[in-house]
Amino acid sequence: MEEDKKVNKMNSGMPDIDTVFECVIPYVEDPKDRDAISLVCRRWYELDATTRRHITIALCYTTTPARLRRRFRNLESLKLKGKPRAAMFNLIPEDWGGYVTPWVEEIAASFNSLKSIHFRRMIVRDSDLEVLAKNRGKNLLVLKLDKCCGFSTDGLLHVSRSCRQLRTLFLEESSIFEKDGDWLHELALYNTVLETLNFYMTDLIKVNVEDLELIARNCRSLSSVKTNDCELLDLVNFFQIATALEEFCGGSFNHPPEKYSAVAFPRSICRLGLSYMEQDHMWIIFPFAAMLKKLDLLYALLNTEDHCLLIQRCPNLEILETRNVIGDRGLEVLARSCKKLKRLRIERGADEQGMEDEEGLVSQRGLIALAQGCLELEYIAIYVSDITNESLECIGANLRNLCDFRLVLLDREEKIADLPLDNGVRALLMGCDKLRRFGLYLRQGGLTDTGLGYVGQYSLNVRWMLLGCVGETDEGLIAFSRGCPNLRKLEMRGCSFSEYALAAAVMQLTSLRYLWVQGYRASKDGRDILRMVRPFWNIELIPPRLVSDTDQLGNPIVIEHPAHILAYYSLAGQRTDFPETVRPLDTESLLSVQSCT
Amino acid sequence: MSRATVELDFFGLENKENSSNKPQFKKFPRQRSFRDIQGAISKINPEIIKSVIASGSAKSSISLPSTPKEEPITFPDVPLYRHIPKSGSENVSETAPLTIFYNGTVAVFDVHREKAEHILKLAVEGNSKSFESNDANVASDQQQQLLETLNTGDLPIARRKSLQRFLEKRKERNDMESDIKQLSD
Repeated sequence: MEEDKKVNKMNSGMPDIDTVFECVIPYVEDPKDRDAISLVCRRWYELDATTRRHITIALCYTTTPARLRRRFRNLESLKLKGKPRAAMFNLIPEDWGGYVTPWVEEIAASFNSLKSIHFRRMIVRDSDLEVLAKNRGKNLLVLKLDKCCGFSTDGLLHVSRSCRQLRTLFLEESSIFEKDGDWLHELALYNTVLETLNFYMTDLIKVNVEDLELIARNCRSLSSVKTNDCELLDLVNFFQIATALEEFCGGSFNHPPEKYSAVAFPRSICRLGLSYMEQDHMWIIFPFAAMLKKLDLLYALLNTEDHCLLIQRCPNLEILETRNVIGDRGLEVLARSCKKLKRLRIERGADEQGMEDEEGLVSQRGLIALAQGCLELEYIAIYVSDITNESLECIGANLRNLCDFRLVLLDREEKIADLPLDNGVRALLMGCDKLRRFGLYLRQGGLTDTGLGYVGQYSLNVRWMLLGCVGETDEGLIAFSRGCPNLRKLEMRGCSFSEYALAAAVMQLTSLRYLWVQGYRASKDGRDILRMVRPFWNIELIPPRLVSDTDQLGNPIVIEHPAHILAYYSLAGQRTDFPETVRPLDTESLLSVQSCT
Repeated sequence: MSRATVELDFFGLENKENSSNKPQFKKFPRQRSFRDIQGAISKINPEIIKSVIASGSAKSSISLPSTPKEEPITFPDVPLYRHIPKSGSENVSETAPLTIFYNGTVAVFDVHREKAEHILKLAVEGNSKSFESNDANVASDQQQQLLETLNTGDLPIARRKSLQRFLEKRKERNDMESDIKQLSD
């Protein structure tokens, strides 16, 4: 019988399609492809479900831990995101939500294959870390608490003690309540396989440099370390021990420049960022600048000329992050020297005079040089002080590989060379057809309704957009919403569209699953928003509020925050953990008022 | 609300550093939510601001505003509200002076603490219920306009938390360094 079967198969020449596919599917990793596969038939749905390795849940409230478990029981890697992106700009209440607790409970109970966990902008408690460590600690390889808050170094202690197989511990920009540095000490004692350690931008200060040295000694594969602002001279031993180190960020310079001749970086360093580095310290990088692929100058103290001197020595640079103090002149040097540049991020420096170089502003001049010189660019995020249509057209004409483009026009200068930017934006979108993410933050008059219509018309592959102060009237928004066929996530700020137009636009954007808006013309009775009420669409409001803050000089101020709308598709119904500052849309009462009149 | 001083410094009057260096570029006179709401509110009848305060304090035992100055109070621009409760007082009355600084004039109201909160809230919250109760009042429409203009249009570009933190730290370092230099000179 067996023989017959074999003969039959050989004669027909057709292998069993399911068998073939079982062999193929592990190599299919793109989530869109997996999504398509799972829709073919039940057999393939189940095949995808049992073999899917990684899931990213872009907003934790769109589904439930139980649903995740029912479908993807064998998950190896999970990324969860909580607070809206605007939280990175101090716009979202700290207690908005995004609690990991229900997810951690399910992970502890069911996800036996889970090895990698990434929580981004979520609220994590010490108890959550304890549960994770106790239940999944043995197999956990990667833990990333990325811009999270709500936990202390006690929680980290649980992790260090029980997650001894950790290859990656990532805490960057998390708000951590610091009691001591024991967590690092325990990590040093128990772990011999650590490759990536990151507590950059965490304000942790009680860490012991000796523990870092011990980790370097024990973990021979240690390749990436990003620390707090500890003194660089204290790390001299560490650098000598960590011979496999490729990436280092952090440190600080608190001593006279001559002393830093003692610092010798490991030989394979190719990604570097040194905080509070000044002109007088820069020379310590020169010996290996030509090896650098990534340079982080966001927290350095260099002026425009310093940037020019340093960048021209880095011909292999692929990633540069810095503030706009780099200036147009620095961008021209970059364009001449760094032909392999793929990612460029230029952040906004200090506003007040005297704190940054007077030359330290970026305009169309720098953009044009960049577009003509760095043809490999895939990602640009930039704060400009001046702009022209021509510079955007130049980008559209030259940067064919651009996937992610974000431009913010700073509001300090009254006169801008060339507004509105309708034609430039259109040319950029038409030319950069691989663009998937697009951010445009302008000012009144920066983009007309026609221009906004172009954005809709020509952003065929764009999935995420940030629009700030664009358009003129509701017409523009409606025209925009007729396009953007792939727009899944839309953030809008400072526009003056009406509630009515917003709701109408939402109903027209065919792929939209997430909307965040701050600043809009509310309707008198608050009912226009009902136009976008639909099944599975959660709507939340953050009413206007006063927020105490500090300005960049550290003076206390009170800022008035306008209202937000947050709306998203969810299979989980309305969430139940709202803080006081956030309100779910009370559709029932609004609808009942309607039926009474 | 705690016993602490609540201060809304819309003009950044506290910030003296602003005037220290002449800016190279003329500052674009756009509205900033906390610094320069002048543009939006200048269109609105100054009496409205007064009525916001009046309607907010209608229920409390407030009498006429007692101002130390002789000239009549006008409010064409954004007022600066300060609520300073009497400190260390065991007084159960719970009214405290509500001091409004505007354009060089000062007005002091004796207001119940809750009313003061209410007034502050009214100034920024949109369609609050007290407006609906004053339907006939034309001023309430204008109040609504006032609040709507605060809700839309120009927002200052928000800073990334990480960069903000760095700029604050840098300032602290600079201040420390200049203190040290001063001591050693």
